[in-house]
Amino acid sequence: MKVVSLRSDAHAESGSLSDRKPASAMIEIDHVSQRFETSGRQSHLALSDINLSIDDGAFVSILGPSGCGKSTLLYIVGGFVNPTEGVAKVKGKPITGPGPDRGPVFQEFALFPWKNVLGNVMYGLRQQGVKKAEAEVRGRKLLEMVGLKGYENFYPKELSGGMKQRVAIARTLAYDPAVLLMDEPFGALDAHTRTRLQNDLLDIWDRQRKTVLFVTHSVEEAVYLSDKVIVMSRSPGSIKQIVDIDLPRPRKRADLLLDARFQKYIVDIEKMIDDGGKDDL
Amino acid sequence: MTARGVLKTLSPVFACIGLLCVWQIASLRLDTESFPTALEAIKAIPSILGDKGSLLNILDSIRRMAIGLVLAVMFAIPLGLLMGRIKAVASFFNPLMMIIYPVPKAALMPIIMLWMGVGDVSKILVIFLGVSLPIIYHAFQGSKAVEEKMLWSGAAMGMSAPMRMLRIVLPAALPEILTGCRTGLVLALITMITSEMIARQSGAGNILFNSLDMAQYDTVFAMILIIGAMGIVFDAAFEKLRLSLVRWSQPRDDMPLSFT
Repeated sequence: MKVVSLRSDAHAESGSLSDRKPASAMIEIDHVSQRFETSGRQSHLALSDINLSIDDGAFVSILGPSGCGKSTLLYIVGGFVNPTEGVAKVKGKPITGPGPDRGPVFQEFALFPWKNVLGNVMYGLRQQGVKKAEAEVRGRKLLEMVGLKGYENFYPKELSGGMKQRVAIARTLAYDPAVLLMDEPFGALDAHTRTRLQNDLLDIWDRQRKTVLFVTHSVEEAVYLSDKVIVMSRSPGSIKQIVDIDLPRPRKRADLLLDARFQKYIVDIEKMIDDGGKDDL
Repeated sequence: MTARGVLKTLSPVFACIGLLCVWQIASLRLDTESFPTALEAIKAIPSILGDKGSLLNILDSIRRMAIGLVLAVMFAIPLGLLMGRIKAVASFFNPLMMIIYPVPKAALMPIIMLWMGVGDVSKILVIFLGVSLPIIYHAFQGSKAVEEKMLWSGAAMGMSAPMRMLRIVLPAALPEILTGCRTGLVLALITMITSEMIARQSGAGNILFNSLDMAQYDTVFAMILIIGAMGIVFDAAFEKLRLSLVRWSQPRDDMPLSFT
């Protein structure tokens, strides 16, 4: 595996895999492989020997074709799936199961349909024993932050896809996880809603600086949002390259679309993915 | 309410009146002793409900039905939910259910009577058996259909497995469970009457068959009316309860207009 930095300055190298600082690593993935049993005696190698370190406060995207195991990698960090081999760690501790330090946001929203918007956002806090009045105050504040003030009493079935995902993000932020695990969160949304949610997510991230692990198959989305893009290839799922995205923040979409560096990142990464496609043939 | 709305609300009433009219005319035309007119049957209702013995019998029936139903609900819902989430539980109980399902529970009544007598226990047991299976089946289906990611979201909030079962699987499967309970309620009424016809000792089914033996045909038909009305009232009351519990899952413009 080759680690490529598209940045030329010396600073860029410090962010790469080779000389990472373990002290600031939020997530470490150490020789992780995942094998799924399929029909009969065959098994499918979804992930092969993944090694990765993600710094505290970094926005990292995992990019790759469908079936490359990018969601599986996210689920392993979430503790929802146990790796067949290797260890995943969060804050230096091996991951043994899900926990409130890692909050997931799924493409399918996975809201609780029997709870209204406020009830969904308060749910995690209530489970952790936060008093109702306090949970409600925090819930309302979060809903204001994600732009859903006035929708507290709506039920999930009454919301559009974009609004549902806003509720899901607020629900996860409510219990203040150190890491946000986002599994193609905007994949089911139309282009316009998607752009708005990307911008709002960046705003929130700017304010809270949580570590974000973001799975997507959109190159543009990955480059726009991330500090670092992990490009994966499939069969077996492995890391092809890690690209540091050296674009100034806060990022403005309108400026970036005209920015030659932004365009070059997209073109370069698309090429890497295409090469992978040829390998498969 | 619009004129159409009023019509829709009243349509079951019209259906009842229509049915009674057909009955009345048919009975007058046939003119046999074993087929009293609708009016004669209706006239016999107050004398049954006014008679303390008959009334106690009917209340006794309802009590047995309620006990059987509640026991079945308490047993069937947890089992169905566990079957939906834990593969081992499902693979143990599924074949068992497949065998028991098509057996008419009333057919077990003679054996149960042999072992447990003709009293309450036998009748409640038959009701319990008859009601449990549809509720287990619906709870199982509802529990199986709960989105995995919903449970993962709960796990990330720090909820333990039993907690997720109680606070995520149960509410998420509730619409399906209540559909099963509605079927169960009607089945409870059916098995209640059937059990009393077989183990004739007390109850609404017993009154019905006794009057048949004594050729009191107006009482027979009056009892059929009473039992039918009980079914309609129970079902409508349960439907009201169901809607208030799972309004969140109903399509937006599907507010109940009829008496259900």
